[in-house]
Amino acid sequence: MTAMATKCFLNGDLKMPASITVKVNGKEVTEVIKENTLLVDFLRDSLRLTGTHIGCDTAQCGACTVHLDGSPIKSCNILAVQADGAKITTIEGLSTKEGNMHPMQKAFRDHHGLQCGFCTPGMIMSALGILSKSRKPTEAEIREGLEGNLCRCTGYHNIVKAINSGAEAIAKAQE
Amino acid sequence: MAKYGIGQAITRREDERLLFGKGQFLDDISLEGETFIWFVRSPYARARILSIDTEDAGKMEGVLKIILGKDMRHQGVGPLPVNADLKRADGQSMTSPPNYPLAIDRVDYVGRAVAAVIARSREEAQNAAEAILVEYEELEAVVTIQDALANGAPQIWDDAPGNIAAYNEIGDAEACDKALASSKHVSRIKINNQRLVPVSMETRGSIANYDPDSGRITLYTSCQNPAGLQTTLAEAVLKIPKDEVRVKVGDVGGGFGMKTQLYPEDAVCAFGAKLIGRPVRWRATRSEEFLSGNHGRDLENEAEMGFDSQGKITSFRINNFGNIGAHASGPGAIIAVAVGPKVQTGVYHIPEFHLKATAVLTNTNVVGAYRGAGRPEAIFLLERIMDQAAHELGLDPSHLRRINLLQPSQMPYTTPTGETFDSGNFPHMLDRMLEKSDWTGFEARRKESEKKGLLRGRAISTFLEWTGASFEETVEVQIGGDGRLKILTALQAMGQGIETCLVQVLSDKLGVDADLIDFVQGDSDIGAYGIGSMGSRSLYIGGSAVLSASKQVIEEGKKFASEEFEAAEQDIVYEDGVFSVAGTDLSIGLFELANQQENQRMVIKTHETVGGPSWPNSCHVCEVEIDPNTGCTEIVRYISGDDVGTVINPLIVAGQVHGGIAQAVGQALLEDTRYDSQTGQLLTGSLLDYCLPRADDLCEITTFTDESSPCEINPLGAKGVGELGTVGGTPTVLNAVLDALRTVGVKTIEMPATPEKIWLAIQAAKRKHVA
Repeated sequence: MTAMATKCFLNGDLKMPASITVKVNGKEVTEVIKENTLLVDFLRDSLRLTGTHIGCDTAQCGACTVHLDGSPIKSCNILAVQADGAKITTIEGLSTKEGNMHPMQKAFRDHHGLQCGFCTPGMIMSALGILSKSRKPTEAEIREGLEGNLCRCTGYHNIVKAINSGAEAIAKAQE
Repeated sequence: MAKYGIGQAITRREDERLLFGKGQFLDDISLEGETFIWFVRSPYARARILSIDTEDAGKMEGVLKIILGKDMRHQGVGPLPVNADLKRADGQSMTSPPNYPLAIDRVDYVGRAVAAVIARSREEAQNAAEAILVEYEELEAVVTIQDALANGAPQIWDDAPGNIAAYNEIGDAEACDKALASSKHVSRIKINNQRLVPVSMETRGSIANYDPDSGRITLYTSCQNPAGLQTTLAEAVLKIPKDEVRVKVGDVGGGFGMKTQLYPEDAVCAFGAKLIGRPVRWRATRSEEFLSGNHGRDLENEAEMGFDSQGKITSFRINNFGNIGAHASGPGAIIAVAVGPKVQTGVYHIPEFHLKATAVLTNTNVVGAYRGAGRPEAIFLLERIMDQAAHELGLDPSHLRRINLLQPSQMPYTTPTGETFDSGNFPHMLDRMLEKSDWTGFEARRKESEKKGLLRGRAISTFLEWTGASFEETVEVQIGGDGRLKILTALQAMGQGIETCLVQVLSDKLGVDADLIDFVQGDSDIGAYGIGSMGSRSLYIGGSAVLSASKQVIEEGKKFASEEFEAAEQDIVYEDGVFSVAGTDLSIGLFELANQQENQRMVIKTHETVGGPSWPNSCHVCEVEIDPNTGCTEIVRYISGDDVGTVINPLIVAGQVHGGIAQAVGQALLEDTRYDSQTGQLLTGSLLDYCLPRADDLCEITTFTDESSPCEINPLGAKGVGELGTVGGTPTVLNAVLDALRTVGVKTIEMPATPEKIWLAIQAAKRKHVA
């Protein structure tokens, strides 16, 4: 926990304005926010990065998954002030330029790994989290790695296929 | 050039924006000057509202307006409409407590919206909502079907005596009774098709905006049928002319039938926006969604099926009770008493049939459509009793089905419920499935499981479903002189890939590059003449409309070209976007021709009526392994063979089947909506209590399609696909579980077959064995 987050918990007053500086998708931003602002609301409302979604109130669905200093986290489950000083990557930060898809995004498209697309940004961020643990995950590892993400459309079948294929493409590119 | 062909597994056009995080779901929209609304909801299942004190709340920071039900009624706002075509046994029209957008003097379920606060921010609205004091007089609630039907039960609505909203009876009771009495064997069953929460990943939400200059309200919302919502909101609820309301829809994060209806909250947003002259914005929390988004299923069945000495079905008698919740404003009643029965005899020849269906009011949330809406319940009952009968008769479950299947020579076939099947080759599908699933190799696989200490079970289902809901749709195709084509439609994408599929049909039929085709949807202003997406209708009806429109484009174009070249119309040929005069070098492009017409475009509006419902049919096989020490079930094999007629896009068809099966697994093994039977409190009010299938609850799903029996009642030859998975998946999974459990003496199990339930059933069977 950052010093500022500790301070505001100890104060017990979460509605005070606070200034945070974070590097989001490679760009440094400083914003004044209420201390009780969740990271997901900060991303969506303050920065208008609406690709990160809110699907539940209980940290169950994973639609809000982003990377915080390289690791996937549920951005509904931490305060924005806790992310002060961190590097954050959202779905918007994956492809370097318009039309240039990240291999994992491409794999989701090629394998029909999305239907309504609401859970998809979180799924992709979690998929990359799986790869950070295992470059070539097995099907069981992929399914277990998706424990924190709900999809109601696909039955996960094509998501698993997409992650497997995305992993192969990424591994090949790194060889 | 990217010309799409019908039958090609092309990837979706919708995907790019969604993959980049650039989708426009409801809550991604932000309007200037917007305000936020928060709803006060009833904590009681049944109560009188004695008073509502808004004084303190009204003084709180940021509060702009507090809306009460009586204010809305005073302004002429009416309740959500009820389908008056449905009747009770006494011939009276269906009725229930009126579902005003905000409760006025009574509440009939926990979560009912009672008041609304509009404030500058969501947080301020929520804080003020918590400061509103509502005084209730709590009344005894009626929560379960049994309680509602009991003698002396509290009456929810005086005009619905016995808490019965609607009733339907089909078939010849006497003949059915007689056939059952003379049957060689009768299987009997009493089961519960539990209540489910649809859980689209995007919750409901609405943003309403009022434009004083035009006098119009625009409702941005997440729904499946903007045209339908426009009519309901304007004419039935706000009681204003239809054209004073515009409904706009962006990307929809899943619907599954739940987003077919206008909801009370939508109407309050619209009312509030006009009242304060600023946009009013609402996004349901997941808790609100559990409390007040329509639920699905909730049907109790009692049935008896008679067989002759050969195992042929002689008769089927059913008594169903559907719990439709507190208000008949949802489609719950029609689903329970009229939609489900359409498929109740499935793919079998059943000589004598009798069904009674009762829609029951209870003090619970409104029940509506959820993927399949009635057909999963009917097929679950049918396949469940067939499997039980096979076991009782000592027959292979695939054999019992085979000897009762309707034959292709019987098509078109009219069922005892009065429905007509146009096509389908059920025995052929069964044959293919037995081979693909290695049905006869099961015993070897069972032995392998046994070595690991696991109980292996399997099941097969043969079934069909009814799709379409309404058998017409209008689409508009515009050919612009600017070189672009447009499909304008009231059909609504919500993940099912309808954009890609309709573009695919048009690209194929006109031979035009798909990149030149724009798809315009989600706006009641452009699509008000169409219906919308529900009941697996979009492609077979909407796609047929696009097909007919493409023919009309060519016919019209030929007329124009014949004038252009002063040639006979029959000498004009069309190919790949070019009209030419046969045997000459005279030709003109489609777009160039359009450019010469009025307003530099050709506009083709096609109203397509298909010849009724489509009857997609399937065969599913599932194998499970159960650990008797923990009661945990693992689905180890799943195969689905589907006749969806002509396949437009195999990638999308498979995706639809996978998703439906996952939801079926959810119902069979995991999901359960529970209310406290005394107080009517929702006990499963979040994703912490309501168990959805996750990736490791499922295995790889094998699918294949069979296109040998195209649909005969539409020009495309397609049948619906969206709901097939839930229709057949649920009984297949549960029957596989029961098949495994029968080996240790368990005779029946209710859904969801959770590890706890399975473990307890095994222990009970063991005790019985010892005793």
